[in-house]
Amino acid sequence: MIARGAPGRKPARWMVLLDPVFLRRLATHVLIFTSFIAVWEWAGQTGRLNDLIMPAPSAIAAAIWRMYVVTGEIYWHFFVTMFEAVSGFVIGGVIGLGLAIGAALSLTFRRYVAPYAVALNVTPGIAVTPIFIAWFGFGWNSKIALAALIVFFPIFVNSLSGLLRVDRDTEELMRSLGASKMQTFFKLMLPNAAPMIFAGFKVAITTALVGAIVAEFASATEGIGIMMQRYAHRLDIAASIGVLISMALMGLLLFTLMEVADRRTVFWLRPERLEQVSRKRRRRLMALK
Amino acid sequence: MYHETRAADGADPGGAVILGHGVSKLFGGTVVALEGATFTVKPRQFISLVGPSGCGKSTLLRMIAGLIEPSSGSLHVHGDPVGKPRRDVGMMFQRPTLMAWRTVLENVLLPTELVRKVTAADRDHALELIELVGLKDFAYAFPSQLSGGMQQRASLARLLQTGADVLLLDEPFGALDEFTRERLNLELLRIVAQFGRTTLFVTHNIQEAIFLADEVFVMTPRPGRIAGIVEVPFERPRDISLMQTVPFNEMVAEVRGIFDRDNK
Ligand SMILES: Nc1ncnc2c1ncn2[C@@H]1O[C@H](COP(=O)(O)OP(=O)(O)OP(=O)(O)O)[C@@H](O)[C@H]1O
Ligand SMILES: [Mg+2]
Repeated sequence: MIARGAPGRKPARWMVLLDPVFLRRLATHVLIFTSFIAVWEWAGQTGRLNDLIMPAPSAIAAAIWRMYVVTGEIYWHFFVTMFEAVSGFVIGGVIGLGLAIGAALSLTFRRYVAPYAVALNVTPGIAVTPIFIAWFGFGWNSKIALAALIVFFPIFVNSLSGLLRVDRDTEELMRSLGASKMQTFFKLMLPNAAPMIFAGFKVAITTALVGAIVAEFASATEGIGIMMQRYAHRLDIAASIGVLISMALMGLLLFTLMEVADRRTVFWLRPERLEQVSRKRRRRLMALK
Repeated sequence: MYHETRAADGADPGGAVILGHGVSKLFGGTVVALEGATFTVKPRQFISLVGPSGCGKSTLLRMIAGLIEPSSGSLHVHGDPVGKPRRDVGMMFQRPTLMAWRTVLENVLLPTELVRKVTAADRDHALELIELVGLKDFAYAFPSQLSGGMQQRASLARLLQTGADVLLLDEPFGALDEFTRERLNLELLRIVAQFGRTTLFVTHNIQEAIFLADEVFVMTPRPGRIAGIVEVPFERPRDISLMQTVPFNEMVAEVRGIFDRDNK
């Protein structure tokens, strides 16, 4: 049955702060986390940890403070790597989705192209790094190329299987309505595949980051990977961990963006979004002339 | 037979909507899905196709819809040999086949959208159909918010939106519970009567087949064929109490007899 608007208004988001169960869980989380950090810090302060191997949390915090506030050196590197990862994702995504569409629409294409895509996948993408550096140079291009390469496969495979997973009856319905191939593609196959396509995107976006960073490790003058390498070579483990946390932050940022895009696009799998979209669609149809 | 020549003229004096003569369908060269089906469907007739699983009911419907071609025999719709799907023949499936990303109204408007830009008049027409099938308050709901029966109501509204005058219904309510199915059958009769459409209705249920139809095509499997055609004389509009009467049950026995004869 339909979930019509509840009689009362939906409670606001912040109301959860008054929920005792939520508060108890939150308190437990905070407690576990702070005790862990406190024990670690205590072990560092009392000389039970070797600073060279495992610095105390305060040392890591100080290193992070330095790179974000005092010198601000991280921002440029952060931007470079993000740019490489996102560019690689876009390029690999366009190629992956494009080939998947070709393969979904044409059996011949699927037969003669898909095997190469699989061959590409079983080749460890990261191993191509030296060749890419030879081809594209030491700058950003080789990083973008590597990110694009390893992003390609998850997007291709997920998109293709999504596009092929069309219900036979619905496809026959489209045919019985006299739909052209284009109409069937845009009105049935593509939206039907959207959940799978986005699943591929979500895997790929963090993979893109891995690609960019690994290529930076191999040889680069800027980017967060190179920053990590410099600190590690100097045995500044506190700063290295600070960079690592920044990398996690990048991954989280990219993944969250993808998640939001997914939620907006594939709204029909999110019951909580249906009402809002329904209202929008109603307005649009009412405005018809 | 005379069916042949009439259909070939394209102008059929009897005004038959569908003419089948020796229609057969083989899959993969070996599986005989349907063999030698010969039949006539007249305008505004309600035909039930009843028979066990695998007797070629869906195959026959899909051929009439132009989705697949007969392997042999001749099959004409409105005097034209079937080839590809046509606008005046519409099909409805056992499962709802609604698009999850479209509201009910958008789903119902799909047939229109495929041929022209949707206008306010199209929208109002679709809304009327949605009201007709009893989904007035759900025009802007998404399929996932509807029960199975409501989804089939929406599919029916979409079928009517095509404006097709031949309706092919392949077990449209087969997946629903008995109560819902009975209700929807009655409403279907009301709607079809109101629009005066020619209808072919597939079912597994003999009572249902007889109750709805002017004529019942009794089909048997291995190979799939039309084993008998039974005329149903009961007056319309029909009430559900008809099913309790003696003549009705005699007819059920007659249809059952065709299956039994075939099993020997
Ligand atoms: N595309 C196909 N390829 C091969 N065989 C098929 C195909 N479609 C149907 N058949 C076979 O043809 C026969 C008739 O199938 P059909 O779907 O027409 O039966 P039906 O009467 O609709 O059965 P049900 O009541 O189960 O829907 C079956 O034996 C089926 O396996
Ligand atoms: Mg069937």
